[in-house]
Amino acid sequence: MSMVWQLDWKIIVFSCFHLLLFLLAAPLLQGWIKKVKAFWQMRRGPSLLQPYRDLRKYMDKEEVISEHASWILLITPSIVLGSTLLSSLVIPGPWGGAPIQGMGSLFWLVASFGLARFFLALAGLDAGGTFGGMGSSREVFVAALVEPAFILSLVVLALMTETTSLTVMIAELQGMSIFETPRILALLALVLIAIAEMGRIPVDNPDTHLELTMIHEGMLLDYSGRSLAFLHWAEQLKQLLLLQLIALLIMPVNMNLLYTQGGGIQFGVLVTQSILQIGLVALLGAFFATIESAHVKVRLFRIPNFLAVGLAAAILALLTLWITKGGI
Amino acid sequence: MVMGMERGARVGTMGLTLVAAILGIVFLGWNFPSGYESGRWQIAGLAFDGLTAFFLFLLFLGQGMASLYGMSYMKEYEGKKSLVSFSLAWLGFLGSMMGVLIVDQGFYFLFLWELMSLFSFFLVIFEHEEAPNRTAAFIYFVMTHVGTVFLTAAVLYLYSKTGSFAYTDWATYAPGLSQGERSFLFVFFLIGFGTKAGLVPFHIWLPYAHPVAPSPVSALMSGVMVKVSLYMIMRLVWLTLNPVEIWWGVVLLALGVLSAFVGILYASIEQDVKRLLAYSTVENIGILVTALGTAMIAQTLGYSEIVVLALAAFFWHGLHHLLFKSTLFMAAGNIIQATHTRRLDQLGGLLKKMPRTGFWALGGAIGLSALPPLGGFWGEWLLFHSLWKTSVQAGEGMLKLVLPLIIATIAFVSALALATMVKWFAGAFLGQARSPQAEASQELAWPQTTAMGIALCLSVLPVLWPQGLLAIFNAPMGVFNLPVLATTNSVALPIFTNLYQLITPYGLLILLFTGILFLLSRAKQRRTSGTWNCGTPLTSRMQYTSLGMTMPLRIVFKRILAFHPKIDREYGGNRYILRSLQYHSRIREMAEDVIYRPTMKLVLWCADRIRILQTGSIHIYLAYTLVTLVIVLIWTM
Repeated sequence: MSMVWQLDWKIIVFSCFHLLLFLLAAPLLQGWIKKVKAFWQMRRGPSLLQPYRDLRKYMDKEEVISEHASWILLITPSIVLGSTLLSSLVIPGPWGGAPIQGMGSLFWLVASFGLARFFLALAGLDAGGTFGGMGSSREVFVAALVEPAFILSLVVLALMTETTSLTVMIAELQGMSIFETPRILALLALVLIAIAEMGRIPVDNPDTHLELTMIHEGMLLDYSGRSLAFLHWAEQLKQLLLLQLIALLIMPVNMNLLYTQGGGIQFGVLVTQSILQIGLVALLGAFFATIESAHVKVRLFRIPNFLAVGLAAAILALLTLWITKGGI
Repeated sequence: MVMGMERGARVGTMGLTLVAAILGIVFLGWNFPSGYESGRWQIAGLAFDGLTAFFLFLLFLGQGMASLYGMSYMKEYEGKKSLVSFSLAWLGFLGSMMGVLIVDQGFYFLFLWELMSLFSFFLVIFEHEEAPNRTAAFIYFVMTHVGTVFLTAAVLYLYSKTGSFAYTDWATYAPGLSQGERSFLFVFFLIGFGTKAGLVPFHIWLPYAHPVAPSPVSALMSGVMVKVSLYMIMRLVWLTLNPVEIWWGVVLLALGVLSAFVGILYASIEQDVKRLLAYSTVENIGILVTALGTAMIAQTLGYSEIVVLALAAFFWHGLHHLLFKSTLFMAAGNIIQATHTRRLDQLGGLLKKMPRTGFWALGGAIGLSALPPLGGFWGEWLLFHSLWKTSVQAGEGMLKLVLPLIIATIAFVSALALATMVKWFAGAFLGQARSPQAEASQELAWPQTTAMGIALCLSVLPVLWPQGLLAIFNAPMGVFNLPVLATTNSVALPIFTNLYQLITPYGLLILLFTGILFLLSRAKQRRTSGTWNCGTPLTSRMQYTSLGMTMPLRIVFKRILAFHPKIDREYGGNRYILRSLQYHSRIREMAEDVIYRPTMKLVLWCADRIRILQTGSIHIYLAYTLVTLVIVLIWTM
């Protein structure tokens, strides 16, 4: 068992820093997206820090627990936030490295989202209300349609770079042109999927509690107080992770530039790259906010058509990769 | 007096098989090969190889859990049914399964295979008072014999060619057979074993037969028996009909993916506690066969590393499916005994009434939806990697394109498995009770929950110590002349190091994170109140039913599922006053409609035509004899 435990304090400190950074940045991104949406709606909108204030407010509030629910309802917020944090361990930070970067970290990411979804869907059904069940039913339905495209687009990138480690994949993409067709198509698929995974228009509407439209909010309906804060935080974190992943796949960080000849870290380069990276994430956030402002939420049974475009893009990415690289 | 005997038969038989299982595992462990011993095993005078040993291990595991469970479960039948006949069939079933694994020649194999089918048939038809059970058993009986016909033909063909029934003789002779002959034999074996394994399109019996058997039997049939036929495919196709053709692997891969997809699609819309699990078995067999097909393709292409990876996925998933599926069938058994219904839309809220059953069932559900931290996910991780690596290494051709698509399909299957398991668990255990029986249910006797707990705890072990489980895989791997796997102190393939670095940390970190967050989540004030329901009182009928839960899937896949709901409305006066509304829907198995019903019609039609020969007149019969005689004479001249 010994080789598993090659942990030293550096990795632990780095991991804690990584987790904290993502955790603290997530509400800011949410605030930014809201701000951009407010801009398109010709409003001033709430402050960028509003999501933090909301979280603090929820943290201090009294919690109301359903008498019909079981312990599943109680543990779900912890598991959802916990597994979302776990998935953040494989997403590289703005400096290009992640605490866990072995082969197969790609599947770790997808599976962690799955674990969170499993418990959230159970919790939606736990209280025995109609709205929770509605949310769960739609969530697992949308997830089933998202999953193949999500995995396939990542697998196409994995085939291009010959690795299933997200960190190494991003480092390898550094050397490739952004205009390679498979890469563009895979990114397109990821963008479409990210909309569904983040629960944004046209798939889901994060701002409403109208039972006809809600998916993710439906499952949270029986939560209040600190549990609700956890679940909101997890959702914001997931949003940040997806945008960060897409940003890194568009513009990979060049890890080689970070180190000097002697192995030290070039702080100038690090800061520049990090700022560029964060800028790209902010740009993507604005992009998704714009889509959300320009589009309407589609009916539930139109979602498959929307996601089919994502799947088609992923399959086309595979096909173009096969034609250009594989050789017939 | 009779009761005493019944009790004795129950406790005695189950105790016997339980002790036998424990002894069997101890024997296997005691004789575990220390290193690379070309896969031969010698135990108590029996000689067999590591592949047999691994499947024996699976059998003993399944047998042990099912026996402990059955010891308490079968009590319900005391005084109502003959437990002596059940015990005999139980012993015969377990014995013949073990026999099929151990024998090394075709004649005894056929004999024991037939016994296995018959004894499991007796177990399936145990509750024969209800007509649907008799139908189910009959379908099983017919299907399994159709399979056996193909097996018999293949075995006799090999016998006629080699003059021997021994597998080893066949293996030495097989390269001398033409490619066409070997391919024919492959197809025959595939149909024969595929029927027993429940591969689509030979699976139609499985969703009928597995649910109607008593739950310990369902657990054994789903957990072990279907894998015995996969063992036989490995034994008689891969290890015997050498050299293996690449298209065999492709056929296995295609059938595997098809089974996984069809199985989980039907499972996701099923509303019967046990039928859903039976369809999930079809799915998991599909995943196993996909892994087997990948291994076979890699073998023919000469990528021995990927063969190891794919076989590791196969063995890993096989073991975990056994553990999780046994757990869930036992949970289903507990639900049935507590509520006397198998319909998910009559259950609900059982987690509070049956906390232990519910807890272990949750573990099983996580495992079967292929989610970490339990091992169900890591088997799929291995499978994804073997598919991906084959695609990377295959220089050119369709494989490179098709294998990533298979990864996507398996991802889709596991997402549907998540939906299915959420529906199954939530339908039975969460929310409010939907019927008086569910309201009145109680937790069952300790063996019935302990057996589940043992299965689940066993599945946690590989998460904590994956090297240990992979070391066990060395036994079956040795048979295939492959590089030795990573053992406890050495790592042969780098990919397994990556696996170790993911499995245990994932398990520990999720515990750590969830634990810390759970401690932090204790709010200052907490109040209990009813579920918010727009201000109206909440009744149990307001919950989402299991039908509604996956209705979107039904609607999106209605073409495949032949789903055409019929809605009858009755209006009073004008069309704004609805008096009553009736909703009928039925799901038909496509395989039944497309393959089996036409075939059945054809057979009946042929029988009808042939009946002309049978006039009842003795003169004509004598004429038949004469004509036959003349033809035979001419033939032999």
